[in-house]
Amino acid sequence: MVEPSAMLADPKGLIAIGAGIAVGLAGIGAGMGEQTIGAAAVGAMAEDEKFFGKGLLMTVIPESIAIFGLVVALILLFVF
Amino acid sequence: MLKPTRMARVVIAGTKEIMEPTISTLHRMDVLHITDYLEDGEDFKIGHPLKTASELSEKLLSLRAISSQLGVSGKMPGEKISAKQLPSVIDEKIKKLQEEVTSRVDELRNIEFRLKEKEDLIAAVKPFFGLELPLEAYSGYGSIRVFTGFINAELEGRVSKITDNYELFTGEYEKRRIFALFVPEAFEEEVRKLLQDERTFVEIKAPALEGNPPVIIEALNNEVSELKQKHESINSELEKIKKEYSGFILASDEYLSVETQKAEAPLRFATSTNAFVIDGWIPAAKYDEIEKELKESTGGLAYITKSTDQVSVEEIPVKMENPGPAEPFELLIDTFATPKYKEIDPSAVIFITFPLFYGIMLGDVGYGLLVSALALAIKNKFRTGGLNALALILLLSGIMSTLLGVLYGEFFGLPIFNMVVHGELEKGILGIAAPAIAGINMPIHRFDAVQPLLLFTFVIGILHLTLGLVFGFRNVTIMHGLKHAIYEKGSWMLLLFGGVAVVAKLMPALISKTPVPTGNPVFAGGLLLAIIGVVLLIKGEGPIAIMEIPTLLSNVLSYARILAIGLSSAGIALVVNTLSKDLFIMPDGVLLGGGIGAAIIGILILVVGHSINLLLGIIGPGLHSLRLHYVEFFTKFYEGGGTRYIPFGYIRKYTEE
Repeated sequence: MVEPSAMLADPKGLIAIGAGIAVGLAGIGAGMGEQTIGAAAVGAMAEDEKFFGKGLLMTVIPESIAIFGLVVALILLFVF
Repeated sequence: MLKPTRMARVVIAGTKEIMEPTISTLHRMDVLHITDYLEDGEDFKIGHPLKTASELSEKLLSLRAISSQLGVSGKMPGEKISAKQLPSVIDEKIKKLQEEVTSRVDELRNIEFRLKEKEDLIAAVKPFFGLELPLEAYSGYGSIRVFTGFINAELEGRVSKITDNYELFTGEYEKRRIFALFVPEAFEEEVRKLLQDERTFVEIKAPALEGNPPVIIEALNNEVSELKQKHESINSELEKIKKEYSGFILASDEYLSVETQKAEAPLRFATSTNAFVIDGWIPAAKYDEIEKELKESTGGLAYITKSTDQVSVEEIPVKMENPGPAEPFELLIDTFATPKYKEIDPSAVIFITFPLFYGIMLGDVGYGLLVSALALAIKNKFRTGGLNALALILLLSGIMSTLLGVLYGEFFGLPIFNMVVHGELEKGILGIAAPAIAGINMPIHRFDAVQPLLLFTFVIGILHLTLGLVFGFRNVTIMHGLKHAIYEKGSWMLLLFGGVAVVAKLMPALISKTPVPTGNPVFAGGLLLAIIGVVLLIKGEGPIAIMEIPTLLSNVLSYARILAIGLSSAGIALVVNTLSKDLFIMPDGVLLGGGIGAAIIGILILVVGHSINLLLGIIGPGLHSLRLHYVEFFTKFYEGGGTRYIPFGYIRKYTEE
């Protein structure tokens, strides 16, 4: 049985929770991607400092995932 | 702009008698990109360096040794020295410098070594302050053994169990107990075992010196200060030499580098017994000039001609050509990869889009001005090279941020103009309302206009990607023909436009839960375009290319970062402002309501918070703007892999011809 009060919950609150989960999980995912690349990039830089530019670039590539999460959150918050 | 400088391949040939003047002329002109000769036939061999090469390198080596010993840095401004005067004095001066510097540096090392020795000795003597025995008392016995050290345990009782015949002295040094125990030789082993079993025992040996510790220390201290004085005086002598000769060293270094470069040039030529051939590239416009100069310097004996042999496009050196303000952006291209000769050089486009993206992201008058000021400071400090280019890029980005900041009406996160937020009037810094431009109420507050701004960023993304695909279409047409261009790039363009049309109609229908408008001409047309695109794509690149289609969606969505980065930076600024103002500086709306202490904390939060945000504001937008170019934009057209144009020559800083 579901409590009647839970069924009356403001859908806005649920949307906000959904948005939070979207951003949070996407952020964790991006972080997990970046940790490996970041470590490898630092390693490459230790060998040759010229890799700084490329390493930095590679490191920010998984950041797209976080952005996708953010886009979903923004759509949830402002479109629905 | 967009295309690299037109290059011409030249071949220069002559007899070996005129090799030296030819090298000199080419080096001075600094335009010829030499293609290294690879020995493949029997007729021509790789040339030998000029006779002077080894001597020059030797001199350069000793000069650099002196230069590093003196710590001469390359930032000495000053008058340029004539390179013609240098050869007559260089040998003598280097020799003199070598004598003066090397002997002094050796002496310095010697002093440093002795200083270390004395300081070690002082450290060794010091603990014996605690025991009032002269140092000679600890050694020189025939049948007595001496143990000295720190211990943190009762000793006397335990020793007296072994023998009554002992002498024990104890004292304190830096709160640790020090002792000296004298026992007959016969009990040495037993006492040693006792001490070794005691965990707090640390043995220290008395240095082999004579006299009371305080007297010895004083003498040692005197020696140390004497050595230090000597060290200082030699150092100041070296400093004087450095000041006097810095100009000469830098100029000679440059002169010798130039001469070595010239002397070793034949290693890149093809030579026979009596002749040489140089193969290379010059900007086509320079041909007449180089022909004339060579004729003058060799008396018309050097032969130069344009070569029309076909070479692969990767081998042609690329010299990017862009108007002044766009030139720094070549650095961003080069960091990624040097373009191929027939490829579009996108510097001029990035010159507009990079600062624009940066500005839309940072978009704050306060931060924008600070970034511009920082860029100016860096630019003034580094007049050439990569940092100078970076500073110019940052400057443009800072200016753009300031302009966009006006549009957003933000100054360090505070509103500049009056605004209505959530139905309440919020007073801005200027205290006036902004005018409405073209029916849109200014300023566009980022937190209030998330939805339209999000759409706007997607539009930017679609335009940016389209531009990339157009460039790609042009590149492929030039390199492989129109048919391939349509398959490879045209298909993607159709997919992009068709996809946009479909999504534009599909999304509102899905959200409002109305049926999909299949009959709508925009939707149907878009779908048709997309299907044609997919067919072309499969025809051009095979069915596996279908896997790539979703990347187009992720590419467009990726541009949402333009809004996201901006929102987070504005958000941090807002948090910092609210925290410091409402909690510390003006609690309950009263200035200093929480006392001076709280207000100071508030100001601290304000300064530190904005500093961190500014730092993030430089790194974040810069990186993400760059990423949008490298990952989203470049993958649509840019291949890179060209050879960079490196002319044979030298940019003189300290000497002149």
